[in-house]
Amino acid sequence: MSEYILEMHNISKSFAGVQALKDVSIRCRPGRVYGLVGENGAGKSTLMKILAGAYKADAGEIIYKGQRREGLSAGDVIDSGISIIYQELALVPRMSVAENIFLGREPQRAFGILDLKSLHDRAAKLTERLGISMDTSLPVSELTVAQRQLVEIAKALSQNADLIVMDEPSAILAGSELDQLFGIIESLVEQGVTIIYISHRLDEVFRIADEVTVLKDGELVDTRPIDQLDRQTLVRLMVGRPLDEIFPRTEHEQGELVLVAEDVSTDTILEGASLELYKGEILGIAGMVGSGRTELARALFGADPLTSGTITLVGDKGASWSNPAQAIASGLVLVPEDRKSHGLFTSLSVRVNITLPILSRLTRFGVLQSRAEDKVVEEAKERLSIVMSSSDQEAQYLSGGNQQKVVLAKWLETHPAIVILDEPTRGVDVGAKFEIYKLMRQLNNRGIAIVMISSELPEVIGMSDRILVMNDGRIVGEVAQEDATEAGIIELATMAGAKAKVS
Amino acid sequence: MKVSTRLSAGLTDSQRLFLRRYGPIFAVYGFIVVLIIIGATQSERFLTVRNLTNVARQAAFLGIVALGQMLVILTAGIDLSVGSLVKLSILVSAIVMNGEEANQGAAIAATLALGLLVGLIHGFLVNEVKIAPFIVTLASLGILRGISLSISTSPVGSASRPFIMFYVQKIGPVPVIALMFVALLILTALLLRYTAFGKYLYAIGGNVEVAHLSGVPVKLTRYGVYVICSISASITGLLWLSRMGVGDPAIGDGIELQTITAVIIGGTSLFGGRGTVIGTLGGVLLLGITANLLVMLGVNQFIQGLIQGIIIVAAVALYKQEGD
Repeated sequence: MSEYILEMHNISKSFAGVQALKDVSIRCRPGRVYGLVGENGAGKSTLMKILAGAYKADAGEIIYKGQRREGLSAGDVIDSGISIIYQELALVPRMSVAENIFLGREPQRAFGILDLKSLHDRAAKLTERLGISMDTSLPVSELTVAQRQLVEIAKALSQNADLIVMDEPSAILAGSELDQLFGIIESLVEQGVTIIYISHRLDEVFRIADEVTVLKDGELVDTRPIDQLDRQTLVRLMVGRPLDEIFPRTEHEQGELVLVAEDVSTDTILEGASLELYKGEILGIAGMVGSGRTELARALFGADPLTSGTITLVGDKGASWSNPAQAIASGLVLVPEDRKSHGLFTSLSVRVNITLPILSRLTRFGVLQSRAEDKVVEEAKERLSIVMSSSDQEAQYLSGGNQQKVVLAKWLETHPAIVILDEPTRGVDVGAKFEIYKLMRQLNNRGIAIVMISSELPEVIGMSDRILVMNDGRIVGEVAQEDATEAGIIELATMAGAKAKVS
Repeated sequence: MKVSTRLSAGLTDSQRLFLRRYGPIFAVYGFIVVLIIIGATQSERFLTVRNLTNVARQAAFLGIVALGQMLVILTAGIDLSVGSLVKLSILVSAIVMNGEEANQGAAIAATLALGLLVGLIHGFLVNEVKIAPFIVTLASLGILRGISLSISTSPVGSASRPFIMFYVQKIGPVPVIALMFVALLILTALLLRYTAFGKYLYAIGGNVEVAHLSGVPVKLTRYGVYVICSISASITGLLWLSRMGVGDPAIGDGIELQTITAVIIGGTSLFGGRGTVIGTLGGVLLLGITANLLVMLGVNQFIQGLIQGIIIVAAVALYKQEGD
């Protein structure tokens, strides 16, 4: 048996012609923590899904515990001692904590009859081992996001895993919950478990990893012991350019007031939110997942009816709206977070996607003017440098960055005064990210006000002129760009008494 | 959600959860009680042993298939073919039995084997060919109906004497067929509560990707659930033979929609992952009692569809309150 528990050699994988991984190799020794870092779209999650048996690599080999592995199902992989905690939590909401922990491996008596007592006893023991107390008979849907994360870890432990992969476990944890997670990781490592820790929060990587592997655009950049790295070097390896070049800045005076929201609440977690928005600025909204950011965006856009408060557009004789169609007509658009389910018709052509909101403008006597349509699409392509084979290409075959540009192009055709961007760069590669940032600045220069919601603090801090921090449905603070630090924002976003709860 | 939060102020978390989850089912049963009161006060014949026996038997006829249907819907599937399969089952069993007591065993075996075969084919098409359950079973609704009607468009074959007697057999005042339904109800409830198979149905319907990544045998479970549903339809075909005495090809039409209606009224989500046996029983009883009451009160039968439609919308609106 070799000194490595896991070796992945020369792994390559492509999806529909897009190279997601190219010739990537990693090796892990038992009882150590490996940081796997890289920007969104760098290929971290793809690599781990190949390890999990969820995807099949196009080329390369995996050697686990000295044996070459091939064609294993997800169940076989779990049985062999590998547990993967996915970024999108892999729990069934309506099933209980205990049922989720042992899903697929329930303690059974003869004839497939469950041993419910043992199920709950073992679940309780596991949660105890993790130092958490929760009622294991509660359905997962009743737990906070942080508690769900811990259930995932309990599930991994129940599988007697020798290798646990954590895909961005901290994205939804903060403060004491994070300390708890690190405590758990340390005790696992003492027991000889190997951890692969995927994150793009560098502080965490420096805190717990023994060795760091950097991926960029699907390729391995480097693997180094943590003590031979510093923050600057790691950022440079990940991004390929120094930080201050990523976020294009323009100096400008504060413009005139365009929108005022006062004491806005909806039938969601959102409560008593007030804000002002000025022409040509970017207003960043930071906060944990479930803090009410998306709900705020939906309220501003008229997607959720207000239960209290007012939203007024300044200058336009106080226009107001109560549904998205009116909001769009008033010059306000929302580019939603999940572009695949809310922003884009993936099976329709780029052309249709871009022109859909303005079809009435492109028709004469009810007949679509295809020349006018071509012109709109061509202009959008030029302006946003969208890479596509033709305007008839289906949106699903574009890369994440180009999909996002199509969504943006679609809304820009309505000539908005205010654009709300919910996670504008989630799941797009670094190059496209940079272009989206540049585009945001261009919009600013044209006088458009932008509200940007983002989970990526460097992005919020780098791009926003002002930052509102949300916590438990309320706006708990405003930070000016020049005073903003990641630590300061996290502190506001996780202050005691507030709980990050999903709606 | 806000409404129920206000209603349930002052309760513990688990009490509130219980109320949110089962509240609408209580409402269904509450409505059943109201119907029974209306029946008892408005019609002399409603609360008679004879009528209640009928209601119980009819509930069993619908309920047995509804249980199978519920299991399929729990996995976010659907089975539109059950009505046609009931039709084919009554024909096959009547022809094989051909009035002879000696052929009973063979007729029952052949009918159940038919259910097994249909279920396996459904499972195969859904699992291996990856066709949506709606399409697969829509196709077999047509195919099984076509086979049935090409066998005969008029009654064929016949049941043996003892087989016909089975329909009217009672233990005390209760029809054996109703007891059989109760036994299957309990069995299904136990299956869902105490077996891994039962948990897998919820897991697959809740999030098939999660189920797969957790090592749940998704395909095997799907084969199982389609086979159970088809066999429940075959059993109902046998019960219809016992009732009719002959293989009547007019039997079976519309059972698929009746069962889906009962399952939905019982709070099972068409998107899978949510549903209870007690709810489905409520749905079956509500449909059965409504139909019976309308006859008792001499209301035009054609109004039944209208009333059922209103019940569906009202029930689903109630479940929406649950907020997830």
